[in-house]
Amino acid sequence: MDSLIETFHIDIKLLIAQMINFAIVLSVLYFFALKPLMKTMQDRTKKIEKSLKNAVEIDEKKEELEKEYKVTLAKAKGEANEIIKKAVVQSEEKSKKMIEKAKNDIGQIINEEKAKLQNEKQQILEEIKNDMVDLVTLSLEKILEKKIDSKEDMDIIKQSIK
Amino acid sequence: MSKTDSDIIQHTELVHEHTLFAEPIFEFGHFTVTNSILNSWIVVLIVIIACYVLKNKIKEVPRGAQNALEMVVEAFLKIFDGVTGSRERSMKFFPFVFTFFIFILLSNWMGLLPGIGSIGQVVLHDGHNVFIPYFRGGTADVNTTLALAIIGVVASHIFGVVAIGIWKYFNKFVNINALLEIPRKIKKDPTIIIVNPIKIFVGLIEIIGEIAKVASLSFRLFGNIFAGEVLLASMAAIFAFVLPIPFIFLEIVVGIVQALIFSILILAYLTMATSAEEH
Repeated sequence: MDSLIETFHIDIKLLIAQMINFAIVLSVLYFFALKPLMKTMQDRTKKIEKSLKNAVEIDEKKEELEKEYKVTLAKAKGEANEIIKKAVVQSEEKSKKMIEKAKNDIGQIINEEKAKLQNEKQQILEEIKNDMVDLVTLSLEKILEKKIDSKEDMDIIKQSIK
Repeated sequence: MSKTDSDIIQHTELVHEHTLFAEPIFEFGHFTVTNSILNSWIVVLIVIIACYVLKNKIKEVPRGAQNALEMVVEAFLKIFDGVTGSRERSMKFFPFVFTFFIFILLSNWMGLLPGIGSIGQVVLHDGHNVFIPYFRGGTADVNTTLALAIIGVVASHIFGVVAIGIWKYFNKFVNINALLEIPRKIKKDPTIIIVNPIKIFVGLIEIIGEIAKVASLSFRLFGNIFAGEVLLASMAAIFAFVLPIPFIFLEIVVGIVQALIFSILILAYLTMATSAEEH
C-alpha cells in the first residue's frame, strides 16, 4: 500500500482538492445548465403533448359543429320549402276565393241591372199605356166633341185597351 | 521547447521522462499544487464559463448550442434508460453521472491540447536536468481518478441507503438477516443451513468488491489516459510531424470512450445499489 502511494504520489490533500473540483463542476453544471435545461425540455414536452391533444379536440369539435351546421341547414331548408308550399297553397286559395267573389259580385250586379232594366221597362210601358190612354181619350174627346162623364170615359177606355 | 535556466549545469543531459505521478509545480502553504490539478482547475473554469454563458440562453424554443446540448442530453438519457430500466430513475441520476462524463471528457481532451505536457520548466533533480511540464492531463493523475472513483462509489452507497433503508442496505454486506433467519425457517426449509452461510460469505465478498470497484475505476481511467500521453510523446519523439496525428485522433476517441465507460459504470453501481436484493 505504501509503495502504491509512493509510486503514484497519492496525496490526501490533492484527493480532497479534486473532490472539491468535482463538487464545483457538479453544482455549476446542475444549477446553471442541467436543471433549467431539463425543466425547459420537460415543459416543452408537456406543452407539445397538450397542444396535440388540443388539436385533436379542436378537430372533433369542428366536425361536430360541421355536422350540427349541416343538420340545421337541412332543417332550415325544409322549413323554408314548407313555408313556400304553404304560401303557394294559400295564395292559390285566396286567388280562387277572390275570383269566386268577383264572379259572384259580377253575377249580382248583372242581376241587379237586369232587375232595374225590368223595372224601368215596366215603368216605361206603364207610362206609354198612360200616355196612350190620354191620347186615346183626347182623340176620342175630339172625335165625339162631347165629353161624357169622365168616369164613364175611363171605363170605356179601359175596355177598349183590354 | 523549453528555456533553460542559467544556473542549470550545462553539461548534464536534459531528462524528458513521463512520470507515473503528477509533478509539483509550486507550494501554496502546505498544499502542493501539481500540474494535473492546475489542469483540473482549468476544466472547472471552462465548465463555469460555459454554464454562465448557457444559463441565460436556455429558451423554450431552442437555438444553436442549446439544440446540440439537448441532443446530447436526450442521447444520454436513452443510454441511461437501458441501464436503469426506467426514465424516472435515469432523470434522478442524470445530473450526477453526466457531471462525471463532462469532467472526465474535458480532462482527457485537455491533456491532448498542444502545450500541455510540452510547456514547462527545467529543474535540477538528483543531479539531472529534469523537464517538468506546467500542465498535465487531469485524468493522467491517480489522485484525480481516485477522487472521482471514491465520489462515485460513496455516492452509490448513499443513494442505496436513501433508497432501500439503512438496515436492508447494511445487510447487503454484513448479512445479519440471513443469520437470524436460520432458526426461524429451518423446519420449513432445511437447506437454509447451507444457503444462508453462503449468503453471509457473499456479503463479505461484496465489501472487497466495493474496494475493487474504486481500484478498477480509478486505474482503468488513469492507465488509459496516461498510456495515451506516453504514446503521443513517444510518437512525437520518433518523428514530430504528421506521425502523431492519427494517434491524436485515437486519443480523442479514447477520451470519449473512457469518459463514457466511467460514467456508465457509476450509473450501473448507482442502479445496483438502489435496487433491493433480488434472489
